[in-house]
Amino acid sequence: MPAAGPSTEPEVVWGRRGVSDGLFEKPRAAAISPDDELFIVDMTARIQVFDLDGHFLRAWQIPEFYKGRPSGLSFDLEGNLLVADTHYNRMLVYTPDGKRLDERTIGGVEGSQPGEFGFVTEAVQDSQGNYYISEYGQHDRIQKFDKDGNFLFQFGGHGSVPGKFIRPQNMVIDKNDHLWIADACNHRIQVIDATGDEAKLIKIWGEQGSEPGKLGYPYDLVLDGKGHLYVVEYSNHRVQKFDLEGNSLGTWGSSGHAPGQLNSPWALVLDRYGRIHVIDSENHRVQRIRL
Amino acid sequence: MFGVDVAFNKPLYLLLLVGLPLLWVFSFRSISGLGRIRRFFALGLRSLVYVLLVFCLAEMQLQYSSDRVTVVYVLDQSESIPRDKRAAMVQYVVKDVVEHRNASRGDRAGVVVFGREAAIEVPPYEDSLPIQQGRLEAMMKVRSDASNLEGALKLAQASFTEDSAKRIVIVTDGNETLGDAQAVARQLAENGIGIDVVPVELSSRAEIAVEKISLPSDIRKGQPVQVNVVLNNMTEPTEKDDGKVAGKVIVVRKHGSREDVLVEQPMEIEPGKKVLTFEHTIDQSDFYTYEARFVPDDKLDDSMVQNNVATAFAHVRGEGSVLLIEDWENPGEFDYLIERLKANNIEVEKMPSNGLFTSLAELQRFDCVILGDVPRASGGGAGDVSSFSDQQIEMLVRNTQQMGCGLLMIGGPRSFGAGGWSNTDLEKAMPVDFNIKDAKVVPVGALVMMMHASELAQGNYWQKVVAREALKALGPQDYCGLIHWSGNDQWMWGGGLIPVGPNRNQMLARLNRMTPGDMPQFDPAMKMSLAGFNAIQARGANVAIKHMIVISDGDPSPPNPATVKAYITAGIKISTVAIGTHGPAGSTPLRNLATQTGGKYYAVTDPKALPRIYQREARRIAQPLIKDHPGMIPITYPHEVLEGIEGFPSFDGYVMTTVKENALVDTGMVAPVPAEHPDNATLLATWTYGVGRTGVLTTDAGKRWANKWTAWEGYDKFFTQLVRYTMRPTDNQGNFTVASEVKDGMVRVVVTATNEDDEYVNFLKLSGTAVDPEMESKDFQLRQVSSGRYVGEFPADKSGSYFLSILPGPGEAPIRTGANVPYSAEFRQQRLNSALVEALAALKPKGGEAGQVIDGNFAIGRVEELLKVDTFRQDLPKAISSQHIWPFLLVLCGLVFFEDVFVRRVTIGTEWIGHSYQWVHARIFGAAEKEDEEDRMERLRMIKQRATADYDEQKASTRFEVGLDQPAAPSAVEEELSAKTPSSSPSTKPKKMDQSSEEEDSYTSRLLKAKKQARKRPGGQLDDDKT
Repeated sequence: MPAAGPSTEPEVVWGRRGVSDGLFEKPRAAAISPDDELFIVDMTARIQVFDLDGHFLRAWQIPEFYKGRPSGLSFDLEGNLLVADTHYNRMLVYTPDGKRLDERTIGGVEGSQPGEFGFVTEAVQDSQGNYYISEYGQHDRIQKFDKDGNFLFQFGGHGSVPGKFIRPQNMVIDKNDHLWIADACNHRIQVIDATGDEAKLIKIWGEQGSEPGKLGYPYDLVLDGKGHLYVVEYSNHRVQKFDLEGNSLGTWGSSGHAPGQLNSPWALVLDRYGRIHVIDSENHRVQRIRL
Repeated sequence: MFGVDVAFNKPLYLLLLVGLPLLWVFSFRSISGLGRIRRFFALGLRSLVYVLLVFCLAEMQLQYSSDRVTVVYVLDQSESIPRDKRAAMVQYVVKDVVEHRNASRGDRAGVVVFGREAAIEVPPYEDSLPIQQGRLEAMMKVRSDASNLEGALKLAQASFTEDSAKRIVIVTDGNETLGDAQAVARQLAENGIGIDVVPVELSSRAEIAVEKISLPSDIRKGQPVQVNVVLNNMTEPTEKDDGKVAGKVIVVRKHGSREDVLVEQPMEIEPGKKVLTFEHTIDQSDFYTYEARFVPDDKLDDSMVQNNVATAFAHVRGEGSVLLIEDWENPGEFDYLIERLKANNIEVEKMPSNGLFTSLAELQRFDCVILGDVPRASGGGAGDVSSFSDQQIEMLVRNTQQMGCGLLMIGGPRSFGAGGWSNTDLEKAMPVDFNIKDAKVVPVGALVMMMHASELAQGNYWQKVVAREALKALGPQDYCGLIHWSGNDQWMWGGGLIPVGPNRNQMLARLNRMTPGDMPQFDPAMKMSLAGFNAIQARGANVAIKHMIVISDGDPSPPNPATVKAYITAGIKISTVAIGTHGPAGSTPLRNLATQTGGKYYAVTDPKALPRIYQREARRIAQPLIKDHPGMIPITYPHEVLEGIEGFPSFDGYVMTTVKENALVDTGMVAPVPAEHPDNATLLATWTYGVGRTGVLTTDAGKRWANKWTAWEGYDKFFTQLVRYTMRPTDNQGNFTVASEVKDGMVRVVVTATNEDDEYVNFLKLSGTAVDPEMESKDFQLRQVSSGRYVGEFPADKSGSYFLSILPGPGEAPIRTGANVPYSAEFRQQRLNSALVEALAALKPKGGEAGQVIDGNFAIGRVEELLKVDTFRQDLPKAISSQHIWPFLLVLCGLVFFEDVFVRRVTIGTEWIGHSYQWVHARIFGAAEKEDEEDRMERLRMIKQRATADYDEQKASTRFEVGLDQPAAPSAVEEELSAKTPSSSPSTKPKKMDQSSEEEDSYTSRLLKAKKQARKRPGGQLDDDKT
């Protein structure tokens, strides 16, 4: 782990502001496919596909984006892209080449009933094919659906007590199908076992601050399968590495525009080679680092 | 991409280089003792020092030239160009950038749109243009009823960055109606900016316009009036089409809310002009507006509807009448006053504040306007908030200042400062200011604005607009703060809420730099705001009203219930404005927030409603200006309004103001409370403003505070005298008729003056004032041209209505009329202005090639022909950026100077190289003893040479450093060294040296000798036995 601070250079920095292929207007979410392709969605509602070195491959645009743009991406067990279509209160499913699978859409209605959503932040699928869809706004909850999209149960709710959320901005599933949740506005990480009929809180840590070990709006997180968790912090403009018990192992990045600096990063994603691709949103670019 | 060149900022200093040979001559001789190589080396270094110094004086700089090209497209979005062609412009620029922009060079493209104003749609952008779905967002800020190419070119020039070649591509029909584009274009060319022009051909269209409606100059009640309507069919007949247009001519006469249709006549109009004449009679004194309109049977026969209306005005004088504007949310509060005024022969018309006048013409029939407890903005939800626009306020003021109409404000809890009228033109026109400058007199208000609308189109612009509106409505003692997200939650103006009075200008200036980011949640910002409110309270500020306005596109996480509860406990109301970027989803939390804290919730889809909402909300802060104090008896002073009136009953409240420090202000009544601040307790005051009078009565007319007055016998007299005092005089001793016409861009006014016996009146001094369509006033003089006939004129360069007021003499009623320029030049049937297009393209930018006229098919989906010209071609002067390097040269000069001295003063031997080599060789291969001996001899020879060189150097240096070889007084250090030298050493060492060779004395030993000699001299100050 390199020492914290702005001096640590990223391996690769790519992308800049623009609407052409390969350029970004405030990218906010990313996911890596089983075929090692990097999918990134930005404020033009385009999903652009790159190789792991940032070479543009292809792109398509979400057809409806007047109300707002998607802010969450992940891959399901079949290698299809799950899109958190935030402002349209739904999860969309696309094939990796951009074909929309309408029959697999979940949601689309704003509300607090099961199957209805506020602002959808992320959708992930566990090893059994169940979907977990997080949202914020009035509800700040996570709903669980079976592989056919039938509602199973929900948990969370708006609040700061353990088990509640304020803006669960992102989720990741570990090998035990436990959910690791970036509880952004509570500045903490929660780990929840929702494999059964109800959700059980397993771990929780984090408090607001800019010192190592503290968090400032954790917007995304990723597990490396080797006992580490990486969290990207929106207001601290950095990536922080933790062990699985929540002990900080170091930070990378600071506020700014130079390589190695971040400006309101929204997301990060880990590739099979152990490299982290940080979505440096307000700098309209991606930085690849190895921690 | 970048080339580098060298330049000098002050090249004249380079002339100093001619001194270089002199340096060589003098230096060559002076360092002759150095030996050949060192001498040339030293000379070279010295020359270099000199040259570097000269370069520093000449301010040497590196110049980088860039191949990058920036093209700013200037799109004419005025209405003289059909809508489909305007849409095609967007297609063209998007495709042109994709086709020609050279990404490897870092080319940039930007877009400026213009009509009456110009606005930047896309600042120079290093990629394809980010215009979504052909929508031009900047057109929200641009009126399209005129073409101001000059303004657009200036804006385009300002938008360029300095690191690229610059070109403007103008897409226009060339019909500018404002400004002078050619003059600006010449400046652009002078600055090396190229201009290409894409002409928009206007095809011949069926077009008909109402040129004018004219009325006779002498209109009298009961006499027939001849009205002429001039129509112009500009359609060009062809073989297939005779160009005739069928339609209906409608002439309407308006006075007040009444509309009389005088003519409604079907007509078929041939190409050319046609005049329609008819007669009618005016039976009633009033100010009349005549409107002629043409309605074609087939809409396709008339391409521009904006030029289908013309207007004229007629004023038939009679008894004066009054307009009373009341708050539409509280109707009927002035009905009793209206009834009493009518009972005293004053005609009164009522107007609700949500159905306000829209033109100065509508106010002309009234001689006094009363604002009866009406706030500037009122209403509940976003849809029904109504307000006086800046322009309507200006109309009210001009109506008094230039046209002589009376203006009276009568109080109530929604009037004056409490009604949000602070810092408006209306306040300037009144005899009192609406704010209290002394914070001890009234408690203050505190407002926090929280900005979260970053995803709204032009969100940054609108957030600045609303913040500005709110700030304007606050009083000087009020506190204001603004919270936005910029990496974290931040106060805009330092650490919290600050008083507006001393900081208003700085606050407005800082607003311009605001760029609110995407706030993740409300809660921390709301806690900051709460802490801000508490902090000013803790500092001892007497804050009575605390209010917060939150604007949001609705997607931050809502606040913690505990935070909301803290607001409720602290009595802080929160109004929320949900701007519909993300649909209704975000509205519920915002609605809840407003409902829970007692604020208002506004759901807005059109950002244009936002300024009214902020005016309305900022009004809440002004409530402390209301003075409720039951049983006050007014203190009266002599005033024309109060003549013959005494015994005012008590009243229970009024709105506090500050009387203006002006001798013209005539105060009639003051409230007894607060007694120590009578300047803030004005009840009745009047003054003359321009040619009219304005007045204030800060209590009400009997609804809430002065309800005891309604039963008082003096009520009628007081209010009748108050209204009549401010009313425009209606009686003239003489008889004047006035006519006006618009011709060749001038309004011509003709006044005929007769006396009661119908004899002409001569030698009058008449002057007039006109209020133009943008509410700017122009003064003009009338000169007598014949018996009783006076003529004046002034330029009319704007379309719309001009209102004229002519003063016959002091104290007399002004004569009023109006003139109308029916439509902007923008709406004339026009063709492409090829002359301007070619002139602009022909301009040759300094250092580059002239521009091109890019001809081709111009229609939606068919713009490919236009792409044949490379608008990013590099035939313009390259951008050059400079970097001063003289400070670096100065440092270099110092280093070289050191080298120069070093070379002259230090000899570096090279014998060690040979020794080293031999030593290494001996170690590796072994060497004979004889060789070692030879080696020693060689070494001795080298030492000798070095000593000789030292001596030479010593000699040479004497040329520069006078006295070094001369005996000199020893330094204290030398003395000390000499004193501590062991006594045996000096006796043995010199001896050995003497034995070997006198010539091999080292430089140091010779110095020591010289020192000894100096000490032995009689004049020496030291004892010589120390050595």
